[in-house]
Amino acid sequence: MKQAITLIVWIAGILMLHGQSFTISGYVTDESSGETLIGANIVDGNNSEIGTSTNTYGFYSLTLPAGKHTIIASYLGFQNGVFEVDLKENVKHNFILTEGIEIEEVVVTATKDDARRNVESTQMGAIDLPVEEIKKLPVLFGEVDILKTLQLLPGVLSAGEGTSGFYVRGGGPDQNLLLLDEAVVYNSGHLLGFFSVFNSDAIKKTSLIKGGMPAQYGGRLSSVIDIQMKEGNNKHFAAEGGIGIISSRLTLEGPIIKDQSSFIISGRRTYALDLIQPFLKGGNFEGTNYYFYDLNTKLNHKFSDKDRLFFSAYFGRDVFKFSQPKRDFGFNLPYGNSTATLRWNHVFSDKLFFNASAIYNDYQFSFEGGQEDFKFKLFSGVKDWNGKFDFDYYPNNKNSIKFGLNYTYHTLTPNTAQANNGDVDFSTGFLPKYGDETAIYIQDDIKFSNKFSVNIGLRGVLFSQLGPYTSKVTGEKFDNFERAVTYNGLEPRFSFRYGLSDNSSIKGGVTMANQFLHLVSNSSSTLPTDIWVPSTETVKPQRSVQYAIGYFQNVLNDSYEASFETYYKSLYNQIDYADDYVNDISKEVEDAFVFGTGRAYGAEFFLKKSKGDLSGWIGYTLSKTERSFPGIEGGRWYPATYDRRNDLSVVANYQLNKKIEFSAAFIYGTGKWYTPTLGFFFTEQNLNTYYGPRNSERLPDYHRMDVSMTYTPKPDSKKKWQGSWNFSVYNVYNRKNPYFINFETETDFETGSSSITGSQITIFPIIPSITYNFKWNQK
Amino acid sequence: MLLILPAFIIFSCEQPYTPPDFNTEPQIVIEGYLEAGQGAGIPYVLVTKSLPFLTEISPGDFDILFVSNAVVAVSSDGKKVPLTQLCLNQLPEELKKQAAIALGLNPNNITANICAYVDLLQQIKPQIGKTYDLEVLVDGKTITASTTIPNYVGLDSFRWTDLPGEPNDTLAQLLVTINDPPGKNYYRYFTAQGDESLIPPFTSVTDDVFFDGKEFEFPLTKAERRGGDFDPNSFGYYTRGDSVTIKWCTIDKAHFDFWNTRDNGANSGGPFSSYIRVKTNINGGLGIWGGYAVGVTKLYCPEK
Repeated sequence: MKQAITLIVWIAGILMLHGQSFTISGYVTDESSGETLIGANIVDGNNSEIGTSTNTYGFYSLTLPAGKHTIIASYLGFQNGVFEVDLKENVKHNFILTEGIEIEEVVVTATKDDARRNVESTQMGAIDLPVEEIKKLPVLFGEVDILKTLQLLPGVLSAGEGTSGFYVRGGGPDQNLLLLDEAVVYNSGHLLGFFSVFNSDAIKKTSLIKGGMPAQYGGRLSSVIDIQMKEGNNKHFAAEGGIGIISSRLTLEGPIIKDQSSFIISGRRTYALDLIQPFLKGGNFEGTNYYFYDLNTKLNHKFSDKDRLFFSAYFGRDVFKFSQPKRDFGFNLPYGNSTATLRWNHVFSDKLFFNASAIYNDYQFSFEGGQEDFKFKLFSGVKDWNGKFDFDYYPNNKNSIKFGLNYTYHTLTPNTAQANNGDVDFSTGFLPKYGDETAIYIQDDIKFSNKFSVNIGLRGVLFSQLGPYTSKVTGEKFDNFERAVTYNGLEPRFSFRYGLSDNSSIKGGVTMANQFLHLVSNSSSTLPTDIWVPSTETVKPQRSVQYAIGYFQNVLNDSYEASFETYYKSLYNQIDYADDYVNDISKEVEDAFVFGTGRAYGAEFFLKKSKGDLSGWIGYTLSKTERSFPGIEGGRWYPATYDRRNDLSVVANYQLNKKIEFSAAFIYGTGKWYTPTLGFFFTEQNLNTYYGPRNSERLPDYHRMDVSMTYTPKPDSKKKWQGSWNFSVYNVYNRKNPYFINFETETDFETGSSSITGSQITIFPIIPSITYNFKWNQK
Repeated sequence: MLLILPAFIIFSCEQPYTPPDFNTEPQIVIEGYLEAGQGAGIPYVLVTKSLPFLTEISPGDFDILFVSNAVVAVSSDGKKVPLTQLCLNQLPEELKKQAAIALGLNPNNITANICAYVDLLQQIKPQIGKTYDLEVLVDGKTITASTTIPNYVGLDSFRWTDLPGEPNDTLAQLLVTINDPPGKNYYRYFTAQGDESLIPPFTSVTDDVFFDGKEFEFPLTKAERRGGDFDPNSFGYYTRGDSVTIKWCTIDKAHFDFWNTRDNGANSGGPFSSYIRVKTNINGGLGIWGGYAVGVTKLYCPEK
């Protein structure tokens, strides 16, 4: 039935066409680097209501009536590209845009920029963040962090002080789909989540979708963070890097064949603990060290305007080595992600763009050590092989259709322990679990009139747990690739936009989603030891339905974009641990799961200014998120860990002159929920803690302000080398935000004395940092 | 995690924390044990009250911890035996020391007036394989619990070895062997060196998941007192030239769950782990009613 409605709506859209028309199509690129520009706007100068924007690969297609047109391409921070054309046939035109402020003469009244999308696109709950904007903000320890910047947006809550983990609209940390060049990143944090794995030097653009998820995305309930890596400069060689207090980074890029193929390679490594190695020498812990590193690389080749090939890869590791040589004891704890994406773009016609992707991603955790004859190893991981076919079809200027197919084969290795002591071997013997996920989708962005447009989509998903597997319920054995249990789901996606005026609109939408892979964290932060598990006969898929409606307004000639969105989200088959759960490597985590439901609702306010010397935004969220599990306190509805009543971010950026730029960010959030200690009791002469109801108390409110200044000594220098200094102060007014509460108990049962004291630990007081950043251009 | 944290601790700071006023009534806490086997102690039950936050108790008012008006009884095989409260201060000095030892306390340190409910007439004779029900009446409220003493699976052999790593003349490692019978077994142990009283290690219980049905040799870590100084070079090792007592026990599932959640809850804590609610087998209160099948072995840790 739903499919039939979709079809009717489509046909209606297509029938609204009349008269002879032709298509103009091509790519939009950056003049200096040859990088394609994602989301650049293309409009007809005669009628600014008719337009499109470039896709993830910088491709656009616009169908217009025959006759003379002025086509304008615009992208924030770039001068407009203008193309005069007399359309008598289909035309190919590539726009090459130059970075810089708009020159008066080419200002055309019909110019559209990013700001217009706020009121004109059917998409809601979505924000694009170019990496240049992210790099301007103050940072902790000098490390630019994409995921921490996302936390400054309304609806996105930080999982905790200093961490890159986040919660979107009441969803858990596993409900965010993190994509790096289409590859799923299963663990996004370095150093217990304090830093994200995304090296900003290698990143072109980050898009966040927290509501109204288009049908092309699936597999997670709460959000999509789609991160695109740079392609590499195909005009000339360039280098970029930085030297900071805990890490340094270097990026090299350049053409392999000028204007046809290019490469980029980017690396980052921390060294804070390398520096203390001399002090550990001869001590109890000689050889103990910790560091992390990332490597990003991408190659691309343009065979013609019709065919282009991309290969991108990421490899990152955290390495923790513990050594106690005097007791012959030690262990190694490496973990990290690797991803590889091979993509082929093909333009079938002026109206049909195709991309095929083959994607591999792998997250591995291992912990290996020993003492004399005793050796142990603990490992877990997730590995995916993924194939995708995606089509963008632009039949006319009223419809923009996407459809495609996606198949993923998952291998999930549960926490598996092995040990041997001399001749005796032990193993938990857990076998990897296998699953495959197939999705087919179609969606159409239909413009019925200047005032009314809809985006309608449908995603069909099928997930099977595959053998080899022995049922824990019936004992039935399943062979390789045999389907042990299958789940399916139809996920309608719908959103609409109704224009109230040129500068204001109302948007609304419904999104249904299924999630077949789950991660349940028993800690306040996401840890590398957290295990992803697939849906199985006992673990049902998580499901959600989200309703959202919002008002969008631009003022002062699009200088300010404002939005007010509200949402209600129902969550089913949510997963958690019971509160007497003990992490036990001898048991599979899913055997300890409890299942329940959730609900989340809230309102988000966003005001953004992108133009002028002063730019920035204010984001405010009022929200509530609750969970109910029959296995936790008899199903009492309790505030989820992801609940925060008020959350405010104010971000400002001020360009004083060409040399000096200031940035500041202020963050305020209602205190996090925690399960309070109600008291203590004695057993065996020791004091034990007893707790109150889950999440029944809040920590004090969280707030802090960060500031930074970027100083570029020679901004107009024509030299190849360009350096700048970034001075950041995290938590400038030294707010003592509580990170956790610690108890000290001193007790002597035999003499009859006892004292219990509590202290509040703050991990990040005021922290200044300095980073030297440089760019080198062959040009 | 051990060394990553110090990097942050360099920056971290702390200030006193005053908790919200929860106005919660103190809970009744039961701590009672029954032991069967060689070296078994006498059955007893402590009935105490939980302590609120930021408590400061001096020896003078330690008595307030103990509930003196409880009616305590243990039943098994249809026979109900009432227990009587006895406080150390009621006893003559010599008996007091013996009572302290029976309660697992160090008789030389004891100054507090500890009160326990005991079977004065010694009518309860704990036996392997039997289930014992506990009933406690306090202020009109009935608290119940039940425990079973499982079959005893003891340690088969003990041997002393040198420490791993650098040679050490004053410390030794104890290796023990167990022949675990097939099927689920739960174990708990205590150690004492010299005159010290028996105490459990930080992780005091284990099940047999890694050695079910196998003969297995493993190092038996010496228990250290909670809150004591931690020395990574001597932790878990025994001092040479001194006597050592090992008390090895088998316990039932509920008893295991209590110590497993308690030990893990006490050992974790801090910013990266969430709370663990101690899984009690007491209905209507906190604490543990635990049956032990025990075996006590006296060893001598030889000089090098």
